[in-house]
Amino acid sequence: MRDRLFLTAMLGPSLALLLLFYGYPILDNLRISFTDLSLLGLKRGGSWVGLDNYRELFQSGDFGDVLFNTVVWLTATSVAIRVLLGLAIAVLLNSSALKRLRLATISRFALLIPWATPPIVAVIIWRWLLDPHGDVNATLMRFGLVDQPIAFFADMRTVWPAVVTVMVWNTVPLIALSLLSSMQTVPEELYEAAELDGATRWQQFRHITLPFLMPNLLVLGLMSVFWSFNNFVYVWLATGAGPGTFTNVLATEVYLEAFVNFRVGYSSAIGLVMALVMGVFGIIYLRLVAQRQLEDTL
Amino acid sequence: MSAQHEIKSPWREPSPFSLVAAALLAFLTLLLLIYPAVVILIGSFRPGGGLISEGAGFTAENYIKIFRSGFGRFVVNSLVICIATTLVSTVLSIMAAYAFSRFNFRLKRPLFLSILFGQVFPWIVLINPLFVAFATVQLTNNYVGMILTYTAFTIPFSVYMLVGYLVTVPKSLDEAAIMDGASRWQVIWLIIWPIMLPGFVATATYTFLLCWTEYLFALAFLTQSDMKTLPLGLYQFFGDDTIDWGAVMAASVVTTLPVFVLFLPIQGQITSGRTAGALK
Amino acid sequence: MIRHIGAAVLALTLGISNIVAAEPVTITFRFNDTEAEVRGAIDEFQRQNPDIKIDLQRIGWRDAQNQFLREAATGGGPDVIHSAQVWVKEMGQAGAARVLDDFIKADPPPNGFDDFLSQDLARGPGEKIYGLPWTTDTWALVFRTDLLKEAGIDKPPVTWEELRKASADVFKKTGKAGFGFPAGSSASGAIWFLANFYWWSHGKALIIQKEDGSYGIGLTPPDVAEAMRYYKSYLDGGDNPKANLAASDAHDPSIVRALASGNQAMGAMPPNTYQQVLQAYAEANHDKPAPFFSAPFPHANDTKSSMIGGRMLVVNANTKHPKEAWRFVKFMASQQVFASYYRTQFPAQRSLLKNVDFGAPMKGFAEQFEYARTWGPYASGPIPIGAMWNATGRAFGAALSGQRSADDAAKDLIQEIGKLMASKR
Repeated sequence: MRDRLFLTAMLGPSLALLLLFYGYPILDNLRISFTDLSLLGLKRGGSWVGLDNYRELFQSGDFGDVLFNTVVWLTATSVAIRVLLGLAIAVLLNSSALKRLRLATISRFALLIPWATPPIVAVIIWRWLLDPHGDVNATLMRFGLVDQPIAFFADMRTVWPAVVTVMVWNTVPLIALSLLSSMQTVPEELYEAAELDGATRWQQFRHITLPFLMPNLLVLGLMSVFWSFNNFVYVWLATGAGPGTFTNVLATEVYLEAFVNFRVGYSSAIGLVMALVMGVFGIIYLRLVAQRQLEDTL
Repeated sequence: MSAQHEIKSPWREPSPFSLVAAALLAFLTLLLLIYPAVVILIGSFRPGGGLISEGAGFTAENYIKIFRSGFGRFVVNSLVICIATTLVSTVLSIMAAYAFSRFNFRLKRPLFLSILFGQVFPWIVLINPLFVAFATVQLTNNYVGMILTYTAFTIPFSVYMLVGYLVTVPKSLDEAAIMDGASRWQVIWLIIWPIMLPGFVATATYTFLLCWTEYLFALAFLTQSDMKTLPLGLYQFFGDDTIDWGAVMAASVVTTLPVFVLFLPIQGQITSGRTAGALK
Repeated sequence: MIRHIGAAVLALTLGISNIVAAEPVTITFRFNDTEAEVRGAIDEFQRQNPDIKIDLQRIGWRDAQNQFLREAATGGGPDVIHSAQVWVKEMGQAGAARVLDDFIKADPPPNGFDDFLSQDLARGPGEKIYGLPWTTDTWALVFRTDLLKEAGIDKPPVTWEELRKASADVFKKTGKAGFGFPAGSSASGAIWFLANFYWWSHGKALIIQKEDGSYGIGLTPPDVAEAMRYYKSYLDGGDNPKANLAASDAHDPSIVRALASGNQAMGAMPPNTYQQVLQAYAEANHDKPAPFFSAPFPHANDTKSSMIGGRMLVVNANTKHPKEAWRFVKFMASQQVFASYYRTQFPAQRSLLKNVDFGAPMKGFAEQFEYARTWGPYASGPIPIGAMWNATGRAFGAALSGQRSADDAAKDLIQEIGKLMASKR
């Protein structure tokens, strides 16, 4: 009984907040998605249209393209790069070589910089760096890698890599620092023992470090996927979902429908479909990849 | 628990090759991370932010301009909201994480998963309903409303991170302390907390920075000039026909600087190997 | 006895009204540009009206409309709002803007309502007036004299063909960009203006109002494709650098910089952006005279080739102090304010506009005003302007970037506009 009270006290506040800030808007959105609510008609409310919004969404010609952009470019590519890069940076920062060079502290500070930069500034500065007259092109030309400057954000072959670059720059520190913290909970003795047994550094990493990181890595990966899939600001600020509709993703579509076309009901439907996709993905992910981890954890 | 020292074992001594490789990689990494910020810093001392006029010399005018238009107020607002959010969110998260990691109860799995799956919603669809709710109870334009909002949005990730760290701390530690007469609450703050410090720092950093750079909700809930946070203040320099690039750069530097000041003392807390001794 | 009571009541009333009058009423005014532009005017108003205090709020243009619509729907929001002229009808529809007809009748602006430009956009449901036109501006072409001379062009282009040729010549002979216009596709991108100017100057328009009062689409897909092909020719020829496919605003830093540093010969923009270009030039070239001049868009056959843009002041339907709000609105639109305090924008009243001294570099804008038209049916018609703006930007973006052929993109756009028009809003 004392335990039950303790549990309620421990979990209560968090769950209450989450219910209010997630539960209520989600239910409200569910209701709105079956109406034709307009931003111009907020006061009088929308009228019931049933599944019309969903039907329209799935029948729209470019739903496939937008979904593809969101899944492949916005999510898969950026998460993969972000996680791998974050892991590499964490390994680097944790390495004894770096400690010897006394660069470890400075590096951790340097990590804070991209993270603390507001997205709009990150976009502005990267648009500037990647401009045909900017530093990146100057460097590429200096090293003879290209003979003509590339307009990264205007050329459809390079616009997605450019957007992903901005996203990764702004967000990789979170992954790197989280993994770094995890790495530092690994007991030194394990490495000592492995070294004495003749294990190479790579083997030590694979069999000691990685297993310790796994729970953290899996959670970071999943959260990263959710967050990237739903992300709106980077695409919107960098390309406005253009050229044409080339970089349109689901979240920018939501914004366009809600705040430009004023169709709040329709945009809620899109939001719910997005949540559904992520929900299904999450379930599959947990089933396949994290089942064992989850059991260990819980 | 034995004292922690940097044990200098010969096997950990890095070879010259590793040193050079590490130095090169570190240099490259640091360059990529910092260079854009350097451009911003230099631009903040140039008229037009260094973006629109070439070779136009240096000036402190941008900083003077932004503070004269009340930017200092935004710094204060952001500090208050973000520090408070970090405290509240961290405390609530660790309470919840402790409960999930140390106890078994009937609703454990579904509750844990529902916290995770709350994240599947894009934030922009949450704005309209929340705004209506806030406006009705008059929680707009006040600190408490923002603190509650940001706390709610950072709890899920924090709980997950902390649960991940907590499972590496053996339950036997808690039990030993309880047998010595400590209450659960004391166990959290006197035993778990010191071991988990690196994890807390990561979670707290995440919470603080999310709150510090957040724009969408601040925009919807804070409309009075004296309540606005830094990201909103920064957006004010984006006009319809012109953008004051110099002010934007200066504002960006002012937005990034306090983060360093705040995290300077804490970064030293990420030390290595504290758990090793604890097991002994 | 009654006399005493009467006197007491009178004294009480006077006393109460004194107390009431002593309490200053606070009006919140949400302004979307920099505070410095209106601080002087606001202070003057408070000096002249000690019973009214103005609380200045600020928000960026991008979010101004959404934010206000949300707030008004929940019964809140500032008392006076700085609004784009094309939003006023929508705000009236949403019940967010207060009807102003009774104020205009009882307490009219000094030169009367008919002196104002863009009156058609100020009206909303029931033909009532929902906003007071405040400032106006227009877009014009700007040129660098030095680059034109270097390319051997001695007189500014006056037709679309001449413009094209001049731009190509500049690129061919100097290697610098010719007409570097923003070709990006963001939801509120500049290509919307350029496309419409092209159509208007050929005597056509996307949305027209027919004689019977109903609205229709005034363009055919070939019309749209023609405009798309025209602007695409600049990109194909290289005189508009392909990088401008990523620039959606006239004030994009790469465009401003190119003009200021002499890497681009021509641009299209509103006056404030032009001022920024001139200033950027001055900062880098301290004493040299600025080699710029402005000219109207091609307007053969007396057609209109630019828009009369502008801002209006709207009173919140939820305001608790409508009379004071109107006094403030009326004051801000007065000649005194435009003459002495609010100098960065042009007044939206014919009589006041006549007295504005544009100065030499801005002559083109002054001339353009005579060949400019308001959005008219675009705003008063059934489709929200934002939706048309977005659809047009995307269609042009697809065509200009080569993703779709101009004919296909044009067909899609007309279809999309038709769909928007048909659906009930």
